[in-house]
Amino acid sequence: MSRKSSPFANLFLFIIFFVLYAPIFYLIFYSFNSGGTMSGFEGFTLDWYKELFSDTRLLIIVLNTVVIALLSALISTIIGVFGAIGIREMKRKRNQNSILGLNNVLIVSPDVIIGASFLILFTMAGIQLGFYSVLLSHIAFSIPIVVLMVLPKLMEMSPSLIDAAHDLGASRWNVLTKVILPYITPGIFAGFFMALTYSLDDFAVTFFVTGNGFSTLSVEIYSLARQGISLNINALSALIFLVTVVLVIVYYYISRRAGNQGMGGMRR
Amino acid sequence: MTNTIIQFNNVTKQYDNDPVVLDNVSFEIERGKFYTLLGPSGCGKTTILRLIAGFTEATSGEIYFDDKKINDIPANKRQVNTVFQDYALFPHLNVFENVAFGLRIKKMKNKEVEAKVKEALSFVNLLGYEQREIRDMSGGQRQRVAIARAIVNEPEVILLDEPLSALDLKLRYQMQGELRDLQRRLGITFIFVTHDQEEALAMSDEIFVLNKGKIQQSGTPIDIYDEPINRFVADFIGESNIVKGTMIEDFLVEFGGKRFECVDQGMNPNEPIEIVIRPEDLEITSFDSGMLKIEVTSQLFRGVHYEITGIDHDGNEWLVHSTKKAKVGDKIGLHFNPEAIHVMRFNETEEDFDRRLESYSEGEADGE
Ligand SMILES: Nc1ncnc2c1ncn2[C@@H]1O[C@H](COP(=O)(O)OP(=O)(O)O)[C@@H](O)[C@H]1O
Ligand SMILES: [Mg+2]
Repeated sequence: MSRKSSPFANLFLFIIFFVLYAPIFYLIFYSFNSGGTMSGFEGFTLDWYKELFSDTRLLIIVLNTVVIALLSALISTIIGVFGAIGIREMKRKRNQNSILGLNNVLIVSPDVIIGASFLILFTMAGIQLGFYSVLLSHIAFSIPIVVLMVLPKLMEMSPSLIDAAHDLGASRWNVLTKVILPYITPGIFAGFFMALTYSLDDFAVTFFVTGNGFSTLSVEIYSLARQGISLNINALSALIFLVTVVLVIVYYYISRRAGNQGMGGMRR
Repeated sequence: MTNTIIQFNNVTKQYDNDPVVLDNVSFEIERGKFYTLLGPSGCGKTTILRLIAGFTEATSGEIYFDDKKINDIPANKRQVNTVFQDYALFPHLNVFENVAFGLRIKKMKNKEVEAKVKEALSFVNLLGYEQREIRDMSGGQRQRVAIARAIVNEPEVILLDEPLSALDLKLRYQMQGELRDLQRRLGITFIFVTHDQEEALAMSDEIFVLNKGKIQQSGTPIDIYDEPINRFVADFIGESNIVKGTMIEDFLVEFGGKRFECVDQGMNPNEPIEIVIRPEDLEITSFDSGMLKIEVTSQLFRGVHYEITGIDHDGNEWLVHSTKKAKVGDKIGLHFNPEAIHVMRFNETEEDFDRRLESYSEGEADGE
């Protein structure tokens, strides 16, 4: 840490972050504009936020989005954790790698294709498009993410820990609850938060599988934006940005605490 | 209640189509003794421990514990506890909870748990460290936690897989003494694995020397050091001079182009054999009076003694430990007693070997 970064490097970083964050702050700035457009700032107002909070339809959509995100993150975390444990326990390295390959294909394949294939699946299976179709598809695309976050922690765990637990009289259930799960807790949290953010900001998949009368924020913002510019959207975006920042901070603290507590023990 | 606690009957272990890891191994372990499994890396020592603990299953053969066959009993139902090579302490639990793990599984009352954990920690001199996190403990302290975690369950047998190999030399010597002492105080069976022959000789009541999945020889440290069964054991246990020779007749052996009196018997006349002489049994004398005559090729100062190597005129290399000095290029003589020569037959089984050695002592008794 003794090396000083050159002023050019700092300037470069500053420019990059400025370019990345400028549009967001631009949006937020104009959410306080009483003028009603983004072309000139006339005066400070909270009207757009008031309008936002009085729009029950929008509030319901926000609620939908949050419920979908929490539920899908929770369910996919449970399934993903057991999936990762299953992959770890596989005897043959080849099978393990093929399953991991399939897992990674799901992560990198374009959302549009996943969305379209879910649409076809749900139509063929006769599942009505709406809350459940969105929930199911979000669970489905979150599972591979959770697996990817949890598996490294599992792989890092020395197999002798499990032997040691059995040796001390632990049943398989004990081993799971008293050794494996506590050990991979940081990975589980990471997976849960990843799933949460993926679900919250997913547009493409949701766009395909959502039906009439059910919508999530990203889809709603898209349709609002198509109708014409209203500073409602700015206010909404500002709030979402705020929530995201809070989430990141929470995630940071959790991972730091977990890092301090358990895993440090493996370092010599 | 017999004195045997663990018995292996023709146990073979093989993974898939790999070569066998344990080849038809049979042995018995008695209560209350300190056993050592000694052998080079990969010879199957850990596999034997894993079979006893129940982490893996034998491909064939029977394993008995207290005269009951335990092949199909899962690890968590066996009355043995293991101290793992990497200690395998739970990083998310502190010292107290690590040691208490087994007791908590048994749903023991809090008060009892506390008393037992304290007792176990005092056995390994770690009282006062209860609330420490594992990552704040040094290597030697982790080692003790792992031992406390095993003994707190009061098992009949404790298995230790190279528990000292990660410690530095000084700590290792100290822990050797402590472990041996602990075993005596607890009075339970220890099965200790190491690839370090000095450690094995220093600590054990009985040693099993393993190579390539077979037990080469078993016996007390002194038996194994003084009377190795074959070249592998002689070489592995301590330093030795191993030379090809011929057993002319009982009590007369030929090597290095000369005949020597010895104490071995019961072999065929003119049978090709190998002899072992330990470097400390060779004494330096003048060239003329030496039984063997060598030219010194190197000398190292080892603190307690000089380690001198030389070559005789047949080209055999001789290693000598002596407090006397020599110079490279010197021609010196070596003197040794008939008892210093130990004769090894080729491909002798352990039973035949034991029978042959026993016949010597009977012979001695007859002679008196
Ligand atoms: N799970 C396993 N699968 C395949 N081979 C194994 C496995 N475990 C051990 N072996 C093989 O068994 C042999 C003996 O191993 P081990 O008992 O660990 O030796 P040691 O403890 O004496 O060094 C080694 O050749 C090792 O490669
Ligand atoms: Mg081993």
